[in-house]
Amino acid sequence: MDILASSLVAGLLIGMILALVALGLTIIFGVMNIVNFAHGEFLMIGMYTGLLTAQATGIDPLLTLPVAAVVGFLLGIICYYGFIKFLMRGPMVAQLLGTFGLMLFLRNMALLIFGSEDRAIHTGVLVGKSFDMGMGVIIPATKLAAAGRSVAAFIGIWLLMNRTKIGKALTATALNAQGARYMGIPTERMNALAWGIGGASVTIAGALLVNFWSVNPFVGLLFTMIAFAIVALGGFGSIPGAFFAGLVVGMITEIPGIWDFFSYTFNSDWMLDFPMTSFKYTGVYLAYFIIVVLRPRGLFGWKH
Amino acid sequence: MALLEVQHVTKQFGGLSANRDISFTVNKGELVGLIGPNGSGKTTLFNCISGLHPVSTGRILLDGEDITSLKAHDVARLGLARTFQVYVAAGDLTVIENVMVGCFMRTRSRVRARARAGEILAELNLQEVVESLVSELPVAAQKRVTMATALGSDPKLLLLDEVAAGLNPSEIEDIMKNIRHIHNDLGITVMLIEHVMELVMKVSNRVMVLDYGRKIADGDPESIARDRNVIKAYLGERFVREHEEALV
Amino acid sequence: METLRNALDFSDFPRLDLLIAGLVAVFLLVFPLFPHSAFAMATMIQFLMFSLYGMGWNTIGGYGGQVDLGKAQYVGIGAYTTAVLLIRWDIPFWFSMPLGMCFAIIWSFIIGYPLFRLKGHYFAIATIATSLVLMDLFEVWDFVGAARGLEISPIKYHPPDWWRLIFKEDVYYYYVILAFFLLGIFYVNWFRKSRLGYQLRSIKDNEDVAGSLGINVHWAKIKTYAIATAFVSMVGSFHACYIKNIEPEDTMSLDISILIALMAMLGGAGSLWGPILGAAVLIPLKSYLKEWLGATAGLAGIDLILYAIIIMAISAIEPRGIWGIVEKIRRRKKR
Repeated sequence: MDILASSLVAGLLIGMILALVALGLTIIFGVMNIVNFAHGEFLMIGMYTGLLTAQATGIDPLLTLPVAAVVGFLLGIICYYGFIKFLMRGPMVAQLLGTFGLMLFLRNMALLIFGSEDRAIHTGVLVGKSFDMGMGVIIPATKLAAAGRSVAAFIGIWLLMNRTKIGKALTATALNAQGARYMGIPTERMNALAWGIGGASVTIAGALLVNFWSVNPFVGLLFTMIAFAIVALGGFGSIPGAFFAGLVVGMITEIPGIWDFFSYTFNSDWMLDFPMTSFKYTGVYLAYFIIVVLRPRGLFGWKH
Repeated sequence: MALLEVQHVTKQFGGLSANRDISFTVNKGELVGLIGPNGSGKTTLFNCISGLHPVSTGRILLDGEDITSLKAHDVARLGLARTFQVYVAAGDLTVIENVMVGCFMRTRSRVRARARAGEILAELNLQEVVESLVSELPVAAQKRVTMATALGSDPKLLLLDEVAAGLNPSEIEDIMKNIRHIHNDLGITVMLIEHVMELVMKVSNRVMVLDYGRKIADGDPESIARDRNVIKAYLGERFVREHEEALV
Repeated sequence: METLRNALDFSDFPRLDLLIAGLVAVFLLVFPLFPHSAFAMATMIQFLMFSLYGMGWNTIGGYGGQVDLGKAQYVGIGAYTTAVLLIRWDIPFWFSMPLGMCFAIIWSFIIGYPLFRLKGHYFAIATIATSLVLMDLFEVWDFVGAARGLEISPIKYHPPDWWRLIFKEDVYYYYVILAFFLLGIFYVNWFRKSRLGYQLRSIKDNEDVAGSLGINVHWAKIKTYAIATAFVSMVGSFHACYIKNIEPEDTMSLDISILIALMAMLGGAGSLWGPILGAAVLIPLKSYLKEWLGATAGLAGIDLILYAIIIMAISAIEPRGIWGIVEKIRRRKKR
């Protein structure tokens, strides 16, 4: 029973962070209708930022978020004005391949600069501590704190998008770029802003993630695919959608645990032998495929 | 003999009723005009008939066969062809290649498709520009290419959607000749949506009028021109009242 | 027969193009007779292989306009079918290759039916998802060697073995793939003039209009996709016999899928020569960059950085690829 409970809880926690990862993607897609293959690479950069800031300054890793946010914001804006802007003029093939090129570029720059070994954070106030929630569920404190901060960041960005003037301008551009332009909202700047905010949210997620997930230059792709699945499930362009979908996908990644629970319960040999752990993320890809074929709009999407 | 029967067709998009309870028949050999103010549901009706949109309620029969729930390509194969209001032919194909796409519905052979395409283009007086890129032609010629493409499949019924839009008087004359030729000499039943009144009134045997999704009149061109409801639809209630005596 | 005539008739190309193509063909035929390094030979074989991959991609991606980023799974199907059949049951290449193509076509119909209900970005990402799922499957499936992969050891056989396609010298492989390459060109030439080819161009232009012309859009896309996968699987089978060592990560990764799409896009998607041009530029570039720079310690990844920059530059500046530039220049000259 504890396996089930701890799997579910772990799934929820990681889901909250994954939701933040996906948030950036859905904002960029919502405003600009471009799919960013390099999204996972932004995450990777956020992870390195968090790691290095913590190591360099010695402050608690969980306090490196503002640095990561700034880095992400600048990265997004530079990518937009330096590259993405030109990509938008071409056909979709070119856009997809262009962002893929960006992904390769960032990944190999990281390889060049940081080398290929895994790095992880080993210091910090909360490392080694954990909470016992009863029912045999034990949560590492770092994970809990990271999840909590994720939710906070998520709410913060949601407020930004819905309650501030700039956020509303962004949403307006997302819904109808031409109409927004006629109202005096500068599309160019909105696009850049979308990339800035999108970039910042995913680097924050990276800085949070690196507290319990080691980083190397290649982690990006997996998270890009997970982010796509979340955004598809939640609906491209929907922020609350990204949250709920993130939780769902988080739980999908914990299927091995749930599977183990059922295999013990049914005492079934073939279930125990089945290497479910290798299919941890396969489930996510399958989920993406099924959702997108059966319900293209996702749970809450308004954009098609 | 009825070629097309539309029975109580309604098409709703969410809360908006684009077509309301429309019924009519088109007989073989007729040339029927479909007019009405903007937004009255003419193109939507074409879309329902040609299978692009499913109807909300009602039935549509082509040559006796129920085509209500068929997809566009199945309807086309049964002998219905159409042109589109906004679309012009594929820009980076040549004229004859465009028409060949239409011909390929009836044959697998490129040679035969090409030959047939050539014939059709000659019928519409486009033989000079057969190898030109469509994007290099003037608008009037492009429209005639779309008509030729639709004819590629040897249809029984041809639906033309505003082929004369944006043409100058001499171009309208030319296209009128093409339409008459298609109808009279090639023996194809035609239904056309038009805003250019002189074209519709001159070529049609019969004219139908839509307003706000409903059919409000159906008859020969002269009586339609004097019909009270039709004039009200175009020029408003007030005009009709003020000119009561002029109208019979 | 009309089909044959369609395949062999290149007369609708400008004379200059045909002249250059002829010269290149001659060059390809005689290349091995001149002194060359083993590296150059390997690069040439790679070039021919990727041209074929690109041509396959081009049918659905270029002419069809559907961006498929999951072709690598079919490389895997072809490669593994041939490898497994050879290793376990000693079935020669010329039987296993067509069989691989059949598996590829069957799989393509299975996922194609739901896949082609999608459009644009959704479609592209879904193709990636299916390819990754298949790759994950192969990574744990013991029957195909799981993550270790499979190895064909040439010592067990007696090269030159034309049945099983096991050779000691690369030259043999070169001529085999060259033969496939030429067949591929004839096939694509036929394809673009066939009914399906015309239907695709109409679909790419405007799907509603295509439907009104009697084209079953969904079915046409699925058929074309099947053709593309068969192409890719064919070369995948060759890959197994040539490289003799296959694992999921090498043969079925996303990088391979993207590389294939890139060939066609860089060269000019939607044209016959495009993928070949793309391969001619990218493959030598990638190989030589890796040779010169990749091996240098401390500069790991710099070859890929340059490669990435080139991709980004082409996508942003001339998305229609090299062939797009050629056509632009030609059109200007006409005026």
